[in-house]
Amino acid sequence: MTISGLNYDRYSVEGKEEWVMRIGPADRPALLILAPLLEEMNRTRALLAATMRRLAERGWTCLLPDLPGTGESERPLERCTWDDWRKAVRAAAPSPLAGIVAIRGGCLLDDAVPSQGVWRFSPVDGAALVRDLDRAGRVSDGGAAGYTLSPALAGALADAVPAGHARLRTLRLSSDPGAADRKLDHAPLWRRAEPQNSYELVDLIASDIDEWMRVCGAS
Amino acid sequence: MTAQWTDDQDVDATLRAVLIDVLGLAPTQVAGFDDATALFGALPEFDSMAVAGLLSELEERLGILIEDDEVEAEMLESYGRLRTFVRAKALQ
Repeated sequence: MTISGLNYDRYSVEGKEEWVMRIGPADRPALLILAPLLEEMNRTRALLAATMRRLAERGWTCLLPDLPGTGESERPLERCTWDDWRKAVRAAAPSPLAGIVAIRGGCLLDDAVPSQGVWRFSPVDGAALVRDLDRAGRVSDGGAAGYTLSPALAGALADAVPAGHARLRTLRLSSDPGAADRKLDHAPLWRRAEPQNSYELVDLIASDIDEWMRVCGAS
Repeated sequence: MTAQWTDDQDVDATLRAVLIDVLGLAPTQVAGFDDATALFGALPEFDSMAVAGLLSELEERLGILIEDDEVEAEMLESYGRLRTFVRAKALQ
């Protein structure tokens, strides 16, 4: 028995064991969740967990991997490379993989492994994330931001842009001028110092993901 | 010119929306901001970490780039000064 279908599984990349948070039974069609990167991940953790729970109620299994150097990973972030993260996405993906749900910086990694459909929320260029990280590091003297990227990882992240996909659906916030299949009227949770969750937003995006993945034939 | 005035209004509305979304201020409070309203150092929500998030969110929404050497303490002092800076960046 597990509490509300929540499990912590392991996956192995570069000889190291990393954690995957799984919600839903392992034998169901699997959606790989690629979270926002760095501080934005912490600010959206509750949103992701609630969305995964909703999707599990609709018959999916959701897998949220810790990338090397993040979350509960035992590897030091300053020694991780962009290639480590792309390998980790491949290693964490089950076979077969039904679909990928990618948010913010997670969208920069959603082409690391093939899937039947990709669903994105507020994709962002890596350059914007690096600018934000640098800015937050400067105002806090490098302390409170708490993320030390290797120059190689920062450089590769700064060059990363979301890739094209045959079956792609993109949602953005109405305040975001970028192109999207649907816009949602909501505040950017990943900017708030005090994380907040919105069950209205969770319902909207969980339904949208569910419908899109069925269109892609992923179920 | 009418078109420019409209853009001006858009920039003002965007700046107010970003203050609400990033700092978590009440929309009614931000609607009451005028040029003299003190920001940095006067609003408890407006600390230096919040400034970083505010600038990054303005960059994303307005499609602008704000360099470090452009950011001065004076421009964060009041709503009027911040709006003047953002307007110059967005409408240039």
